[in-house]
Amino acid sequence: MSNEIKADKTLDLKGLPCPMPVVKISKGIKEVEVGQVVEAVTTDPGSLTDFPAWARTNGHEIIDTVQGDKEITFYIKRIV
Amino acid sequence: MEENLREKLLKAFEGKLTKTIAMYLETCSRCGICTTSCHVFNSMPRPEYSPAARAEVVRRLYKKYFKLQGKFWPSLGEAKPLDDTALDDLDRAAYSCTGCRRCMTFCPFGIDTQQIMSIAKLILVAAHAEPEILSMLADVSISKGESIDLIKQGFIDGLERLEGEVVEKWKIDAEKIPIPTEVQEADILYVALAGAHSIIPSAAIFNAACENWTLSFFEAVNFGAFVGDPGKTRLIMDRIINEANRLNVKEVCICECGTAFRVLKQMSGKQSFKISSITEVHARYIREKRIKLEKNRFKGIITYHDPCQIARNAGIMDEPRYIIKHLTDNFTDLSKKPEENWCCGGGGGLVAMGQDSHDFRMKSSKVKADQVKATHASILVTACENCHSQLSDLNKYYKMGVEVKFLSSMVADSLI
Amino acid sequence: MDTLNYIILVPMVYFSFAVFVAGVLYRIAAILKKPSITIPLNVYPQKKPAWLHALADTFLMPAVFKAKPVMWFFLIVFHASIFLLIIGHIELIHSFSIFQIIEHDIFLGRGFVGLTLFISLLYFLFRRFSSNARNLSVPEDYFLLILLLLTIILGSELDWARTWFGYQEMTVDGYQTYLKSMLLFKPDISDVTYSGHTFMLVFHVFFANLFILFFPFSKMMHAIFTIPLNKIRRG
Ligand code: HEM
Ligand code: SF4
Ligand code: SF4
Repeated sequence: MSNEIKADKTLDLKGLPCPMPVVKISKGIKEVEVGQVVEAVTTDPGSLTDFPAWARTNGHEIIDTVQGDKEITFYIKRIV
Repeated sequence: MEENLREKLLKAFEGKLTKTIAMYLETCSRCGICTTSCHVFNSMPRPEYSPAARAEVVRRLYKKYFKLQGKFWPSLGEAKPLDDTALDDLDRAAYSCTGCRRCMTFCPFGIDTQQIMSIAKLILVAAHAEPEILSMLADVSISKGESIDLIKQGFIDGLERLEGEVVEKWKIDAEKIPIPTEVQEADILYVALAGAHSIIPSAAIFNAACENWTLSFFEAVNFGAFVGDPGKTRLIMDRIINEANRLNVKEVCICECGTAFRVLKQMSGKQSFKISSITEVHARYIREKRIKLEKNRFKGIITYHDPCQIARNAGIMDEPRYIIKHLTDNFTDLSKKPEENWCCGGGGGLVAMGQDSHDFRMKSSKVKADQVKATHASILVTACENCHSQLSDLNKYYKMGVEVKFLSSMVADSLI
Repeated sequence: MDTLNYIILVPMVYFSFAVFVAGVLYRIAAILKKPSITIPLNVYPQKKPAWLHALADTFLMPAVFKAKPVMWFFLIVFHASIFLLIIGHIELIHSFSIFQIIEHDIFLGRGFVGLTLFISLLYFLFRRFSSNARNLSVPEDYFLLILLLLTIILGSELDWARTWFGYQEMTVDGYQTYLKSMLLFKPDISDVTYSGHTFMLVFHVFFANLFILFFPFSKMMHAIFTIPLNKIRRG
C-alpha cells in the first residue's frame, strides 16, 4: 500500500537525538498544505510511540507506517 | 494586559512562593558575585545575562505585588507592574538560562536562580506565552501515557529490529531476549529515550552483566520540567512511576538524560523502588566485576563533561570517573572541581528548541568551547543526551576537533 | 530645637525599634507560614556535617574569597566591624565584664571600628559605580549605603571629637544615663543635650533610626535569611 502513497515532502530523521524527530516533523508538517502528505524516515524505535501520540495531540493523521529492515517510514497527512 | 489575566498570572506566582523561594526573593544583595559565574554572561557580557539581573526581572514583580516596600515606595527597588513588557522580559530571562545552577555555588547566600526562573516559566505558561515546541513535546509525552495500550505493539515490533544488532555485535545468549519488555518483578526497569543509540548499547551492557531487566515503553525525558509546568511534569513522571509499580521492579534506571534523572530522583518522593542513573549502574557492574572492560580501546586524550543536572545537581561525580579509569589511562578533567564545570549551554529546554535557539546556544557557550579546547582532548565524553547534542553542535561551530561520545556507548564498545 | 532633639532622641527611637522588632518578626512569621518546597535544593558534592559547612559558608564566605578576594576582604572586615559595633553600643547602655576579656575603654578598637566601617562602606559604594555592579544596583542599594555612611561618620565623630578637642562633655557616662533611662522607659536626655555637640548625636541617632526602620523591608533581611539559605544549599 505504501507504494501508492504519494508524499509531497520527505523528511530524513535518521539517527537524530531526542527530541529532534518530533520537533522536525511538527515543523515539517506546517510546510505542506492541509491534505498533503509528509513522508518521515526515522531509525528510532521510540518514534513508533512518539509519532502516533504526536499526531493525536496535534490533530494529524498517520496514514501508514512501514517498518523496514533498518528504517521506519511514516506517512502523515496534514489535517489542520 | 487585562485585569483578570494579570490576576491569574499573579495567582500562579503566589503558588510558587514557598518558604525557600520567598527567602531567595527577599535576600539578594545585588553584590554581583554571581555575574561571572554564568557561562552566558562570560560568553556574551551583557548586563541582562547576570544571574542576579535575570532574577531581578522576577523580583521586581515580587516587590510590586508581594512586598510592602514595593507598595509604598516602588521606585526604591525598581518594582514593576506585570504587563506585556514584563512578559517579554520574563521570557528573555528564563529562556537564556539553562538552569545549570553554577551561579548558586558562588552566591554568598546560595540563591538558586533556576528556582527563580521557574517562576518566570510558570507565569509564561499561565499566559500561554511559553515556547510552543516545549509544551507540544510535553503534551505528546502525556498523550503517550494515556494511550500506551494502543501503541505498545508497534513499539515491541520496532524493538525486534534492533535486537539483531545487539545479538550480532555483542554475541549474547541466543536463549535470552535481547531487549525484554513487560517483565514482571524485574530487577531493573530501564527508561531510555526514543533513539536507538540510547537503547542498543545499554541493552548490550545489561545482558553482559546478566541483569534481569526490562525496557520501559516511555522516554525518560521530562519536557514538562523544561516548560516549567508542574502539573505536566507530574503527569509525565507518573507514567514511569506507574509502570514501575505495575511491574513491581526493584530499581528504575534512567538513561543518559540529566533532566529525566534529576526530576525523577528528586521530585518523585518516596517510592518502593530505587532510582539510579545508568552511570551509577555501570559503575556498580564494574565494581562487582559483573562486566569487564578492555582498557585503552579508545586512543587519545579523553575528557568528561559533567552534565549539570547529574553532577552538581544530583551528585553523580565519582561514578563516571571510576568508569573512565577502566576505559583509558589518558584522562584529563575539564575543570579542577566537577561542580565548577561550565554548563554545555543547552539545558533548560534550549536544545529541544532546536534551530530556533541555535544562534544563542552557540554564542552563549563560548567559554565551554574554550574549556574543551584547552584540554587538547580527542574524545569528549558525556552522560546526557541534551549535553551530547549541544556539545556536538559546539564541536562543529567552534571547530573543537573532538569526537563527542556517550559514556554508555564507550562502555558497550569496550565490553569483553 | 529642644523639641526636635527630644523627638529624635526619644519617640523616634522607640518607634524605630518597635517597627524593627515587629517588622523582623513579622517577616519571619510570614515566611514560616508559607508552604515548604518538597524538592531538595542542595548542590553537590555534599560534605558532612552539612550544618557546619553551612555556618562556614555563612561567616567565612569561601565562594566570595575564590571569586573576588578584594571584595571578600572588605566584606569580612565590614561584617566583623558591625559585630564589634553592636557590642560597643551595648556597652553604651551598661558595662559588661565579659566584653572586658580584651581590655578596652569604650568601643573595642578605639575608633578603628568606625574607620574600617567607613572605608569598607566607601569601597561598597564605589564598586556600585563600576559597570557590572552598577547595572544590577537599584536605588535601595545606594540608599542603604549612604544612610549607613552618614550614621557611621557622625558616630565616629562623637568618639573622636572627644580626643581631638579634649572636652569632657558627652561622655560614656552621659550616654549610659540616656540609654539606660530609655531602656527603663523613663527617658532622660539631659546628660546628652546640654552640649554644643548634641546636634552630632541627634543626627547620628536620626540616621540610625531611619536605617533600622527600613531594615525589615529591605535587602537587609539577608542578615537573617543567610543561615537557612546556606543550610538549604548544603542539604
Ligand atoms: C551573618 C551573615 C551575613 C552574611 C553572610 C552577609 C553577607 C553580605 C554580603 C555578601 C554582602 C554584599 C555586599 C554588597 O552588597 O556589596 C553584604 C552586605 C551588607 N551587609 Fe551583610 N551579611 C551578614 C550579616 C549582616 C548583618 C548582621 C548586618 C547588620 C547590620 C549586615 C549588613 C550589611 C550591609 C549594611 C551591607 C552593605 C550593603 C551593600 O553593599 O549595599 N550584614 N552582606
Ligand atoms: S551572588 Fe547572590 S546575592 Fe550576590 S547578586 Fe548574585 S544572587 Fe544576588
Ligand atoms: S543557572 Fe546557569 S545559566 Fe542560569 S543564571 Fe545561573 S549560571 Fe547562568
